Amino acid sequence: MTEVTIPDPIPGAESGEPMTRKRTVRIWQAIFVLILLGFVVLLALRLVQTNQSEHRADGVAPEFTFTTFEGETIALSDLRGQGVVLNFWASWCDPCRDEAALLEATWRREQGNGIVFIGLDYLDQEPAAKAYLEEFNITYPSGPDLQSAAARRYGIKGVPETFFIDPQGNITELVIGPIVSQARLDELLDQIRP
Amino acid sequence: MIFDIGHLILLTALVLAAFGILAGYFGGQRRNTRLIQSSFNAVYAVAGLVLVAAAILWYGLLTDAFQLSYVWNHSERALPTFYKFSALWGGQAGSLLFWCLLLSVYSAVVAFANRHRHQVIMPYVNSVLLTTSLFFLTLLVFAADPFKRVGFLPPDGQGLNPLLQNYWMIIHPVMLYLGYVGMAVPFAFAVGALISKRLDNEWVRTVRRWTLIPWMFLSAGIIMGSQWAYMELGWGGYWAWDPVENASFLPWLTGTAFLHSIIIQEQRGILKVWNVVLIWLTYFLVILGTFTTRSGVLESVHSFARSDVGPYFLGFLIIIVFGFLWLLFDRLPLLRGEHAIDSYSSREAAFLANNWLFAGIAFATLWGTFFPMFSEILTGERISVAAPFFNKVNGPLFLLLLLLMGVAPLLGWRHTSMAAFRKQFTFPILTALAVGVLVFVLARSLYPVIGLAICGFVVATIVQEYVRGAMARRTTTGENFLVAVANLWSRNGRRYGGYIVHLGIVMIGVAVIGNEFYQQSLSVTLAEGERATIGRYELVFQGMESNRQANLIEFVGVIDAYNLDSGKQVGTLLPKRNIYDKTPDMPTSEVGLHMSPIEDVYVVLNGWDNGGASATFTIYINPLTAWMWVGGIILVIGTLIAAWPHATRRRTESVRGLAYAPGDD
Amino acid sequence: MLLLVSVVWAALFSPRVVVAQADNPAPTATANHAVTSNDVKDVADELWCPLCSGVRLDACELKACEQMRDVIAEKLAAGEPKDEIKNYFVAQYGPQVMGEPPMEGFNWLAWILPVVALIGGGVFVWQRMRKMVGAPTEDIASSTPDATDEYQARLQEELKHYD
Repeated sequence: MTEVTIPDPIPGAESGEPMTRKRTVRIWQAIFVLILLGFVVLLALRLVQTNQSEHRADGVAPEFTFTTFEGETIALSDLRGQGVVLNFWASWCDPCRDEAALLEATWRREQGNGIVFIGLDYLDQEPAAKAYLEEFNITYPSGPDLQSAAARRYGIKGVPETFFIDPQGNITELVIGPIVSQARLDELLDQIRP
Repeated sequence: MIFDIGHLILLTALVLAAFGILAGYFGGQRRNTRLIQSSFNAVYAVAGLVLVAAAILWYGLLTDAFQLSYVWNHSERALPTFYKFSALWGGQAGSLLFWCLLLSVYSAVVAFANRHRHQVIMPYVNSVLLTTSLFFLTLLVFAADPFKRVGFLPPDGQGLNPLLQNYWMIIHPVMLYLGYVGMAVPFAFAVGALISKRLDNEWVRTVRRWTLIPWMFLSAGIIMGSQWAYMELGWGGYWAWDPVENASFLPWLTGTAFLHSIIIQEQRGILKVWNVVLIWLTYFLVILGTFTTRSGVLESVHSFARSDVGPYFLGFLIIIVFGFLWLLFDRLPLLRGEHAIDSYSSREAAFLANNWLFAGIAFATLWGTFFPMFSEILTGERISVAAPFFNKVNGPLFLLLLLLMGVAPLLGWRHTSMAAFRKQFTFPILTALAVGVLVFVLARSLYPVIGLAICGFVVATIVQEYVRGAMARRTTTGENFLVAVANLWSRNGRRYGGYIVHLGIVMIGVAVIGNEFYQQSLSVTLAEGERATIGRYELVFQGMESNRQANLIEFVGVIDAYNLDSGKQVGTLLPKRNIYDKTPDMPTSEVGLHMSPIEDVYVVLNGWDNGGASATFTIYINPLTAWMWVGGIILVIGTLIAAWPHATRRRTESVRGLAYAPGDD
Repeated sequence: MLLLVSVVWAALFSPRVVVAQADNPAPTATANHAVTSNDVKDVADELWCPLCSGVRLDACELKACEQMRDVIAEKLAAGEPKDEIKNYFVAQYGPQVMGEPPMEGFNWLAWILPVVALIGGGVFVWQRMRKMVGAPTEDIASSTPDATDEYQARLQEELKHYD
């Protein structure tokens, strides 16, 4: 690639030995190539990443910790052995309203059966969020996802998105958009029962 | 039926382009005239075929052929005809076809114009241009087929993106793409010169005009894009340093640097490697920009919907980068400079400083644009790099560049003597001081005082250059001042047209300073008949109106604006909200604008209550902003003066053509 | 030139904030302050929508942004100063609401690399130029009278007579 073996046609135009000059030229070339290579590799990585987040519904659920609006701190790892329904929502999100009542009702029915519902509030404001929780009378643990830490790890694209995590901590299913059918929700719950 | 032919035509064009590349390369290597002629014919044929393919898609759009996925997704029956026409570049596949169309037609024009000249370089030029066409044809055939079918016949389309239903959006992408594809031409010449080892100044001289023209289109495209953002996005500004905007700005920066640095290569025979690298960078940034806005690699409000063109682009970028570097390193020994620079206070030195600043701004912009991506990959943290970053980093550099624009024309080639210094700098410096003091008296803040003083300096330089030149002509030829100026343009358009371009840039600079530092804004809710005061203006809300248009309902807040100083009405402002039938959840806004040389009154309609009895507005006073558009027009005029082939030059060229082997110029 | 850059840089680094404050005096830290939409805009002007890219909070029309502006109004009414409000949003949403990378950790690179590249490039150009200026060159003035710009040469001649 760096073929600079042709003898210098105009020697002495610049100071320094031709040999050392050639070497510096070669070093500069190498640096230049490496920088560009790095850039291309990063672009490729990014491209892979953007396509990968389409396949988020398999594998181990990323760990996260959050504090509910009531002040209780919960980590995902504490919930091993239980099936977890992880719902990303926000008070400004209209489609979230379509599923809120269903989620709460199912939580009340299932909370004794080893199923935990968790709400993570995505890019939201506390007053509006609390008003939303009150409006739908939501009792399962819900809290702000500070700095979108969990949202990033789960690669969410918008709200609502709901992850179903089995007792071993693997994601079994991901639903993008609201869950409006009880039958569909039950079907998904059956996959994560302990 | 006809649409299947469209796909076949693209496939044929692809095969022909591949053939033309080989014909050009081997024809050039073996000096085989038949092969070379084939490469020319391939360029013409590809242009013709792509034109037919585009015509078929246009036909589909205009006849509401919703069985085509592209037409279904980007048009609707009620869409006004000219938007159906412009829908060709409103979506991913169509805009790639449009790109390809402009590129292949542009290539054909270049090939035709140079069919009897540069016989050693031209075959390779054809090959390089066809390679770019081949890449886009590959995308069209394999990844983003504009003739893909839906599978059923939908009764109506889904409508064009409301943001694109604006008259600026018809012309802005055309300009931008013309600028983009045009930059492939100087790059093709550079590669042709490298392959054929014809690395004297010849290709540089030819390429200058072929760079000026796309540069003009690119500049006009960027300005029109800003105009669109100013009128439509409604945040009082025109440039947000958004990744897509940066993608068009980056090749402009390196292209502008190239236009300046080839002057030194012509004059002094130095910077040969740098020039080749610059034009390659420009081309690379064009492709990179097209890639990033279409692959979801960078997030932007203007992005196209994601599709699977990403890997193709990446592959092509790798070819561009490493293919070119391999060629460059191989030819390095042939690219030694001939002369040297004699003094720091010479025009050569000023040109070097110019290139240093342009390269610095380009790097900072590229770095800032891609930094969120680096940061997310390497640390997982998401940050945004927006206007505050770019203003802080690039602002001072632009200021220095502006200063240099005033200083450089005052320096002589090779060396400037102390006496010449005094003679040249007195008037501009006095002007700068006067402007600085004036601005300081009117508004005391540091940045604008410095900025406007520098603008004054540059304008004074330009005026001085014109007066000197015209006076010199007058003493020798006795012609009057205006005739003398006209002759300066026709005899030395490069230099005196260049000054006009500089004047346009200064106007844009003045507009930026005015908008950035003296903007006033007010956010108010007004009941019908209520008034608000901002700056020297009083605005009275006269009520809401709504009008039914073909595919939308527009809601208009009618506002009468009065000048408090004179008590006269300056105009009626009509800020609008458009609710589209197909996409009611994506309303667009159009600002109500009263433009004047001193300041724009700019009103955004945010919303209304009680059936229009009261409405909320954001009102901006944008000082000097109108000069941006005037500056844009001046810039285009200046570029045309600089690029215009004038009589004396044509004569010398034809004489040279006779003296040497024909076409060897 | 390098010195000039650094001076200009230092002098002009954050002039925008100063100007903005001069135009719209920040609300005084008293409770029950009547908060106008203009006061909110003054703060929202310097924040960026966390959901979109490159859209300023005051111009963003998403419901989430509307709520953010409501919170700004509430906090202003409670007498919180602008900087505290901004810090609150950074804590909630992360550094992306600032519209620029924070000057710490990895993100330092965003700021420092353009400066390093500029200075590095400047030193490189300077050194090349010094070599060139120092190198003895044959007098080319007579051998190559700007062939491309013969008119310009003539003009220079004329200018000499003119003065």
